[in-house]
Amino acid sequence: MSTKEKPEMQQIELSKLSLANLTQLKKQLDQEIGVYQDSMQALKLAQTKYGDSKEALEKIQPDAKDSRIMVPLTGSMFVPGTIDDTEKVLVDVGTGYYLKMSMESAKDYFKRKVVFVTEQMEKIQSLGMERSKIRDAVMGVMEVKIQTQMASQKPPQVPGVST
Amino acid sequence: MEDLQNKLQAELDKFKAVGKEYHNAISQRQVLDGQLHENMGVKTELDLLKADGEVFKMIGPVLVKQELTEAKQNVNKRIDYITNELKRMDDMISNLDAEQDKHKEKLATLQMQFQQEQMKAAASKA
Repeated sequence: MSTKEKPEMQQIELSKLSLANLTQLKKQLDQEIGVYQDSMQALKLAQTKYGDSKEALEKIQPDAKDSRIMVPLTGSMFVPGTIDDTEKVLVDVGTGYYLKMSMESAKDYFKRKVVFVTEQMEKIQSLGMERSKIRDAVMGVMEVKIQTQMASQKPPQVPGVST
Repeated sequence: MEDLQNKLQAELDKFKAVGKEYHNAISQRQVLDGQLHENMGVKTELDLLKADGEVFKMIGPVLVKQELTEAKQNVNKRIDYITNELKRMDDMISNLDAEQDKHKEKLATLQMQFQQEQMKAAASKA
């Protein structure tokens, strides 16, 4: 599970591993890369959501008070309403907690969230790249092994191709 | 021969059961980890909330107003609880890990025995 020990371990042992082990390793790496890709997508979604919320906040100016809006009750039904308070908004911060805060605090909150998510994305991206690199190396070693195996099975035809 | 095969099968089943439990524990741990992060986020937000801010808690379909201190206490309690659960999960996972290794070893020796028996049987036939 830890990220520290793996790369070194693998770099040392790659050429010593059997083909079956390598296949297993590749499968595991593929799985990990898939997880990272899924996380990336989820984070991207969160990033746009926070970004959109922030943008929506920018649109609410003090002079928007008393303006008529349509409030979505469900995804497909709206009721008319008026904006009563342009100073404060209610923000969902997770685990069922909602905080009523000033415009500035809310904007600040979304800004922080976007920064946080972007940081996480960068981290995951570099982790994913690392895994891809290891996977490429594993695949390279696998190819060499397969070729030597094939060459040893029918030796007289071609004088061994090595890359 | 048959006896050995039965033993092998039983051991394999046990190994698989432990493996399943292990996976369950891992995914539970991941859920807890996520919850911990979410609660940590809420805690930082509560700490950052200015004096004029208000706290609401969603209980079923309604939002209930809550005192900031009470909310903070609740979140801290949840964080403590989740941290304890995480610790418990970690212990369980390492136990299961050890158990899995033990089963793997047993399985390997049984498999060896089985193969030897098979070879012997094949040799006596030939």
